[in-house]
Amino acid sequence: MEETIKAIYRNNFESLCWYVMNNSGSRQDAEDVFQEVVVAFIDLVKKEKFRGESTVKTFLYSLNRHSWLNELKRRGRALTREEKYGSGQDRTELDTSHLIANREGKEQVAKLVGQLGETCQKILLLFYYENLSISEILETLDYENEQVVRNKKYKCLKQLEQMITENPILKQTLKNLLHG
Amino acid sequence: MDNSTHNTSELLVQYLDGELSGSEKDNLVRLLEADTSLNAELENLQLAREAVRSYGIKQQVAGIHQQMMDEMKAPVIKIGPTRRIIRISMAVAASVLVVFLSFTAYNFFTLSSNKLFADNYHLFDVSTVRDDNTDETLIEKAYKEKKYQEVISLAEKADGLEEEYFLSAISYLEMNNNTKAIEGFKEVLLLNRDVKSSLWREETEYYLALTYIRNKDYDLALEMMNKIQDTPGHLYYKKITGKLIRKVKMLKWR
Repeated sequence: MEETIKAIYRNNFESLCWYVMNNSGSRQDAEDVFQEVVVAFIDLVKKEKFRGESTVKTFLYSLNRHSWLNELKRRGRALTREEKYGSGQDRTELDTSHLIANREGKEQVAKLVGQLGETCQKILLLFYYENLSISEILETLDYENEQVVRNKKYKCLKQLEQMITENPILKQTLKNLLHG
Repeated sequence: MDNSTHNTSELLVQYLDGELSGSEKDNLVRLLEADTSLNAELENLQLAREAVRSYGIKQQVAGIHQQMMDEMKAPVIKIGPTRRIIRISMAVAASVLVVFLSFTAYNFFTLSSNKLFADNYHLFDVSTVRDDNTDETLIEKAYKEKKYQEVISLAEKADGLEEEYFLSAISYLEMNNNTKAIEGFKEVLLLNRDVKSSLWREETEYYLALTYIRNKDYDLALEMMNKIQDTPGHLYYKKITGKLIRKVKMLKWR
C-alpha cells in the first residue's frame, strides 16, 4: 500500500500541483489539496467505487480540481474566467465533485475519532481498518483473552456511537461525508 | 443502560461485524423492522465504523505525505506545450501502472505484524548448541520439553548467563508476552556488552527483530534487521531478505 501511494505521488503530484499554483494557490495549498485527493482516491478504491473506467490520471485530475474549487469557495473566492488550466474541459471532464468532501467535515471526523483514548483508537483501527481478527489483536495488545478484547472493542465503538448520537449536526456531517 | 438494552447493542455490533448466525440475524432484523430507535442506533454504529476507516486512511496517507514532499522538493516549473505532451504521454503510461498497483493494493491490506512474524518465526532448537558429550542443563531440558513457565522460573533463580536469559525470552515469546521477551533479549545484549562476549548475540538479534515486528516496534525491528543484513557472516544473514525488510517498512506506514 505504501508503494502504491508513493507511486501516486510521484506520477501525479507535479502536474496537479501546477494546476493549483496556476489558479491562485500556493505550493502549500497544492500539497494540502493533493493529500486530500489521495485520501479520497484510496477510500474510493477500497470501497470499490473506482473501477478503472477512466484513467487514474484523469480521475485524480478531476478530484484535484473539485477539491481546489471547494477550497476557493470556502475562502470566498471564485475561479470563473481566471481559471487558466482546464477551462473548456467541463464537457468531457468526469463529475467527481460529490466524491470530494469538504475539509471541515474531514477535520470533524479526525477530531471525533481522535477524542477516543489511544487504546480505543488502536483497537478500532486494527479491527475495522487493518481487518485484523480479535485473536490477532489479542496477540498484539496483550489482553487476557479474546473476550476481553471483544468487550473492549464493543465499548470503544459504543463510545464513538454515543458521541455521534449526542450530536445530530455532527451526525449529518458524517452522513454527508461518508456516504456522499 | 439495563441488561437487555446492553445485549441488544452487542447484537447490533455483531450484526455490523457480520458475526451473527442465520437465526440470530433473522431475529434482529425483525426487531429492527419494529423499532425505529434500534434502527437509529445501528445507523450511528455504522457511521462510527466508517469514521474509523476514514480516519485510518487519513492517518496512513498523512504518514507518507511528508516523506514524499521531502523527496519532491524540487520547485514546480511551468512547462511548454511540447514537454507537456511528452509528460502527459509518460503519465498515461505510468497511470496504467498505478491502476495495476491500486488493484494489487488489496494484497497489502492483508499483511499484518502477526502474520509476518508467524511466517518467519521458528522455535529455536536448543539441541543445536550442545554436543552429545556434555550434559544438558535443567533449563535446557525444560525448554526442550516446552515447559516454558519452568524455563522462566529457572532463569530467574539462575546465574544470569546469556543462555538463560535467551531461553527465558524465547519462552516469553512462546507465551505471547512480547514485552517480557524483549526485556530478556535486551538483557543478553547488555550482558554481551558488559563482559565483552558475543555468546548468543546473533540468535538474540534475530529473535529480537522478530519480536519487535510482532510488537509493532517497526523502527527498532528495521534497525536490528539492517544490522544483520550488513553483516554477511551473521548466523541469520540469509533470513533477513530484502523482501522481509520491505514488508516491515510497509507495515510501518500502514
